[in-house]
Amino acid sequence: MIELEHVVKTYQREDGTPVPALRDITCRIGAGEFVTIRGSSGSGKSSLLNILGCLDTPTSGAYRLGGEDVSRYTDQERSAVRARRIGFVFQAFNLLPRTTAVENVEVPALYSGGDVDRGKALALLKRVGLAERSNHFVTELSGGEQQRVAIARALMNSPPLLLADEPTGNLDSAVGDSIMELLTDLNREGLTIVLVTHDERVASYAARELLIRDGVLASDRAQPRRPSLHAATEGAAHVVG
Amino acid sequence: MSWARTLALALRTLRRNPLRSLFMLLGVAVGIASLVAMASVGEATRQETMRQFKRMVGTFDRISIQPGSARTRGMPSLTSVEPTLRFEDADAIRAEVPNVRRVSREQSAFDIDVQARDKTATTSIWGISAEWMEIRGDDVTVGRGISPEDVETLARVAVIGEDLRKELFPDEDPIGKTIRIAEVPFTVQGVLVPRGAGPGGSSLDNLLLMPVSTASKRLFNRDYLTTITVQLEDPARYEQAVAAITALLRERHGIVPPVEDNFTVSNPRAAMEQVQEVDTTLSAVLVGIAVIATLIGGVVIMSLMLIAVSERRREIGVRRAVGATRADVLRQFLVEAALISALGGIVGVLLGVAGATVAAFQQQLSPVFLWGAMGGAVGLATLIGLVFGLQPAWRAANVDPIQALRA
Repeated sequence: MIELEHVVKTYQREDGTPVPALRDITCRIGAGEFVTIRGSSGSGKSSLLNILGCLDTPTSGAYRLGGEDVSRYTDQERSAVRARRIGFVFQAFNLLPRTTAVENVEVPALYSGGDVDRGKALALLKRVGLAERSNHFVTELSGGEQQRVAIARALMNSPPLLLADEPTGNLDSAVGDSIMELLTDLNREGLTIVLVTHDERVASYAARELLIRDGVLASDRAQPRRPSLHAATEGAAHVVG
Repeated sequence: MSWARTLALALRTLRRNPLRSLFMLLGVAVGIASLVAMASVGEATRQETMRQFKRMVGTFDRISIQPGSARTRGMPSLTSVEPTLRFEDADAIRAEVPNVRRVSREQSAFDIDVQARDKTATTSIWGISAEWMEIRGDDVTVGRGISPEDVETLARVAVIGEDLRKELFPDEDPIGKTIRIAEVPFTVQGVLVPRGAGPGGSSLDNLLLMPVSTASKRLFNRDYLTTITVQLEDPARYEQAVAAITALLRERHGIVPPVEDNFTVSNPRAAMEQVQEVDTTLSAVLVGIAVIATLIGGVVIMSLMLIAVSERRREIGVRRAVGATRADVLRQFLVEAALISALGGIVGVLLGVAGATVAAFQQQLSPVFLWGAMGGAVGLATLIGLVFGLQPAWRAANVDPIQALRA
């Protein structure tokens, strides 16, 4: 699914001095994996996520997504990759204001070239447990509900890869757990998930953890999956979320 | 993203941001409204000026000759003009200048007191040829005008304007009644059809007509004219006629340039062109103001959109992240600007029509609506939206999604 080879990302300060963010990252992530990228602030994990999400390009090195080297794609080509092959979930939810839940879910379909399938958007809302909230405006939803809408939105174009950037960062831990349960379920259904976090507890949901430190891959290890709290958190999502 | 979908999205965005949309719409509407109103009022004024001018001078086939140089101002009166224009000059023009249809000899005097029994009025007196009424296109409501026989026989008859009739004979039939001018009795034989107000706003109906021969021999005792009016067969060849008359009168008066003419030949067409020129300048100024108002509308659109772009950075980031290209974002913002501007244009046209109607009513003009121009105004509004929306849309398209999405 994902192959990174000697990926380097260097930013330029305004005075021209180079600031290395990623020094030399090489790794592979297979289809169907659930991987967390963990690191402290400034470790380069956000830079890595931006490159994985085709929002940014590496200064050098190759990034192959599904066998295609997308690291030298134009802005427009990367837009197309984002539209069809990548779903995004953000810490701040980033739903569009003055827009209903179902309209938010539909947004990616506007840019994928196909029709906007309202039925599919409603089905996705049902999948994340918000069937009854589909015509509510974003401001009428709780944080947990907003993040569920954001997950439904990420799935709208059926991408094989979901990238999540601190998806529980703005939620309290019970609601955060329910979001992690949802992601875990989606992974079990075949979705490849790469999740960036600084939170060990969140990282523990994934089967594999990449640790980034100072722009290099400090460790890459498999870990036992956290025992499922499915039943309990499902209940919590309804009460708290 | 398809155009239809972009349009639907733009509509939704505008609807969900009613306050911003309202201000954008008003910004454009005010400019377009002033443009439409100014253009309508300008056109109505122009048409009304034409109408009034025609009413004042009749048709445009006339040349008038007055004594004195071109620098002489005001209406010529027996008391103010040089005695250079003779009855014989008029006869010579009739006999020798080609393309002449009718010639009228006139003596005019202003602020003359006239009496009918116990009532007194002040009016202007015009001694005229029988052709005068035909040249002017005047007619009588009752009685009859001045006939060739009246001129021939020095008849003491008068035809009066409606204002004078009201003053002297408010409640009676004036026909056959006597009016005294400097103790000379005249019999009223007709009342003129009212002309209304002239371009200066004064009435054109306070006058008394009599045969020019009577005026000359029995009233004023003057043998010179204040005006000769010449009606042409073919108004298109008025320049040749003016030249021929000028040459003839110079010869008769013994004038050799560079000696200044002691007469002035003018024609209503030139006067009309002057009036229209003033009018056009005025319209141009009004339209210029309206164009500035419209451009200010464009600036309003631009500034509100720039604010909107910075407010919507996160939205732009999200759209870019889920696959929108720069072109998609550019198009979205441009379509929003064009759409709200077009709506503003429509509202502006409606406001402008309302404003022009009120203005026309106040000015007692008949409102004139240039429907073609209104279509153009909506088009202009849309164009302004596109032009002034371009920079904000460009800025929106170039929002860096990574920066915009940073929590």
